[in-house]
Amino acid sequence: MTLNGIDVTDFLTAMLATGLLRAVPLAIASLGDVFAQKAGLLNLGIEGMMLSGCFFGFHAAYKTESVVLGMLGGIAGGLAMALLFGFLTIHLRVDQVLVGLAITIFAAGLTGYLFRDWYGGQNVAANVRARSIEIPLLSDIPIIGPAIFHRQIIFYICWALVPVFAWLLYRTRFGLNVRAVGESPFAADAAGVNVIRTRYLAIGLAGVMAGFAGAFLAVADLRIFTIGMTVGQGFIALAITMLGGWNPWRIAAGAILFGMLNALGDSLQIVGVGIRTEFIGMLPYIGIMLALVVLAGKTQLPASLGVPYARGQR
Amino acid sequence: MANDALTPRPPLPDGRGGEPRVEMLGISKRFGPVLANDNVDLTLWPGEIHAVLGENGAGKTTLMNVLSGMYQPDDGQILLDGQPAVIKTPIDALEQGIGTVYQHFTLVPNLSVIENVVLGTKTGFRLDLGNAERQLQTMLADFALNTTPQTEVRHLSIGQRQRIEIIKVLFRGTRVLLLDEPTSVLTPVEVEGLFAILRRLREQGVAVVIITHKLDEALDLSDRITVLRQGRKVGVLDPETLAASDRETSRLRIVELMFGGRPSSEGSDVASGSAAPGETLLTLSAISADGDRGAPAVKNLSLDLHRGEVFGIAGVDGNGQKELGEVIAGQRRSTSGSLAIDGRTLTNQGVSAISRAGIGYVTDDRLGEGSVPGQSVAENAVLKTIGLAPFSRKFWLNRKAIERHAEALIEQFDVRTPSASTQLTLLSGGNIQKLLLARELAMKPKVLVCNKPTYGLDIRTAQFVLKTLREQANDGNAVLLISSELDELLDVSDRLGVMYNGELVAIFERGEFDVETIGQLMLTGRRATGVAA
Ligand SMILES: Nc1ncnc2c1ncn2[C@@H]1O[C@H](COP(=O)(O)OP(=O)(O)OP(=O)(O)O)[C@@H](O)[C@H]1O
Ligand SMILES: [Mg+2]
Repeated sequence: MTLNGIDVTDFLTAMLATGLLRAVPLAIASLGDVFAQKAGLLNLGIEGMMLSGCFFGFHAAYKTESVVLGMLGGIAGGLAMALLFGFLTIHLRVDQVLVGLAITIFAAGLTGYLFRDWYGGQNVAANVRARSIEIPLLSDIPIIGPAIFHRQIIFYICWALVPVFAWLLYRTRFGLNVRAVGESPFAADAAGVNVIRTRYLAIGLAGVMAGFAGAFLAVADLRIFTIGMTVGQGFIALAITMLGGWNPWRIAAGAILFGMLNALGDSLQIVGVGIRTEFIGMLPYIGIMLALVVLAGKTQLPASLGVPYARGQR
Repeated sequence: MANDALTPRPPLPDGRGGEPRVEMLGISKRFGPVLANDNVDLTLWPGEIHAVLGENGAGKTTLMNVLSGMYQPDDGQILLDGQPAVIKTPIDALEQGIGTVYQHFTLVPNLSVIENVVLGTKTGFRLDLGNAERQLQTMLADFALNTTPQTEVRHLSIGQRQRIEIIKVLFRGTRVLLLDEPTSVLTPVEVEGLFAILRRLREQGVAVVIITHKLDEALDLSDRITVLRQGRKVGVLDPETLAASDRETSRLRIVELMFGGRPSSEGSDVASGSAAPGETLLTLSAISADGDRGAPAVKNLSLDLHRGEVFGIAGVDGNGQKELGEVIAGQRRSTSGSLAIDGRTLTNQGVSAISRAGIGYVTDDRLGEGSVPGQSVAENAVLKTIGLAPFSRKFWLNRKAIERHAEALIEQFDVRTPSASTQLTLLSGGNIQKLLLARELAMKPKVLVCNKPTYGLDIRTAQFVLKTLREQANDGNAVLLISSELDELLDVSDRLGVMYNGELVAIFERGEFDVETIGQLMLTGRRATGVAA
């Protein structure tokens, strides 16, 4: 069966494959940000952390020609921004919104500057190839076979993190501490939880994951860096975290949904239905808006989101 | 971690005597201009219940917070079992067997009971709830709590939460238990249950400290009493003294210690006015309303409030009193019936219309809905009137006027605060309450609805508040006083209604108040004879 001369099976395969690919960085960044938000940190720096992950991931991959080192470079880039965020908001108790936006602007400036300085602003590709594996039998299934079971190793690793993070949040002492600290830091402190350390760990994890997401984009997926290449994906991840109710499973679903809407837009352009491309490009964002409207009021923000803590200041 | 719920470590041979468990020596703690603790000594013995008393702002909470690691003292030393102890954080205190139930609750509402209990304990990275759950089950049974470990704490009643707080502390194996005003929020039955638990802990050799504003509780329960005044320890009544003197003598001695030579406002000038009731100010006709969980909380309730009267509402907590107050204040929608103020029907017209019509409301949730904790005393003092002259003209706030007004309230109600610009949450519990009440009264409401206005207040301040309510009525206004303290209701009310299960089951005129009957009605909704009102 064909549609405007394009094979429908191919169309669906491409759409599913692209959708899942687009979903990865969103899901990864959101998973990490669950911990920041649950610990009471409203992380508007996530966009900057992700962008920093893109650049330093790309840079490491370009220099070493290694995917693994590239990913590690990205993680380091995200983590550095997160620690800066942590120092300012947890330690010095500067307003989180202010710091988050500042970090995002700072990361855009820094990566832009370094990219021009080190690469002359030229788009060069890193000479890396993320290895793929093809799962026998399953990859022969039409549509979902190639879209799901013949992917890069890193792709599988990313999705395997969803249950890991669910476990971390609900079944470990660290997860419990995080959930308590964002809800009532005084109660957590009184119970013997180290509020400051828990918050640092949480923002650190969020930074690692945002950096990882950025590196996925720049190293595993595109292999190039361009200025401002995250184009708001960090903020989308932030919204997905909230809309998913801080539940890793629902967040994964939200990321996939958003990725799919994105891919649908692309595919429709290729097929050439008579809709303006600008409108199609808006689809996923309209989706997020709708979700916000529908779910607003149903989500219960962590009670101490955005509130700094100091013992003895009731 | 303790192997058995109620076995403290290490087990003591007979629980009593021996050397002191805790010695606090020369503790001083300053907050800006306020010297909250001034060279205070406190000795806690194993197997003893020790009451710490003092008026609002005397420094009781501060002293406990120093022992629990929440505050670092500026000066002084703490000995544990005779050895100098280092308590820099709450973790240090917990690890050395000092458990605290704080004045404001420290449970995380969205976590389950079991999660709250294991929070902060050190048992490996993976949460092993199975083991903890078995232990918790026995403790829940021990404390007569019929809730499951998986229930989220926000679904529990205040009394249940209180017991979970204690379980949480005992779960870690506590040798010193500090309780900061644990009874203020409990019903009499719950208080009895709590005391039974505390006596049991005493038998097992735990050193228990209890802070309370109720002298009778302290005298009933404690072996030793320490009194603080303005940050200083002014006296200790040891077990021998307490045993040797009768209750009335002890009471007088304590009151004298608490308030020093200052004139006491105790006395029965709060007694009701005798003037005949005037015209009707507030009319409720067959009002019904739902509670937070959607179940009917107020059922078909009718009531007239007249000029010059204090109408008391008695009842066990949770029988719809709070919801009734909120309906009158316009904070809660009624599902049927009508409400009229001064003859004008204002059913479900919202807070601002109702407040303009002359209704004032003092909530029992002072840090929650009653105030903006992060803002200053002055800002909180004008919270409800900030849009009016002289506090604001057009867009500008008149800081001077706001401050002057706040200072007047502070003066008049004796609110202990370093200054009007101090952040509200830094005040002691009782002083926050005084400020909220002062704020409502300053608006000169025709009808003032108060929910537990004396909760957390020392006896003198409580008397002052009741007197103020009385005067409010004597000036030709009406007061609806909701309280779980029957004694104060009997003192001050002209009429007294009993609420049971959302209904007003009886109304008594002053003169026909009968404690027995009222108690019966509160507990069962019926008179002993079986004749319903
Ligand atoms: N963290 C703080 N910062 C500033 N001032 C404080 C702080 N904690 C207490 N104070 C002040 O220290 C004094 C003693 O307060 P504290 O809470 O110990 O009183 P309290 O005896 O517990 O009173 P109440 O019976 O009202 O609870 C008060 O004047 C209070 O305003
Ligand atoms: Mg106190």
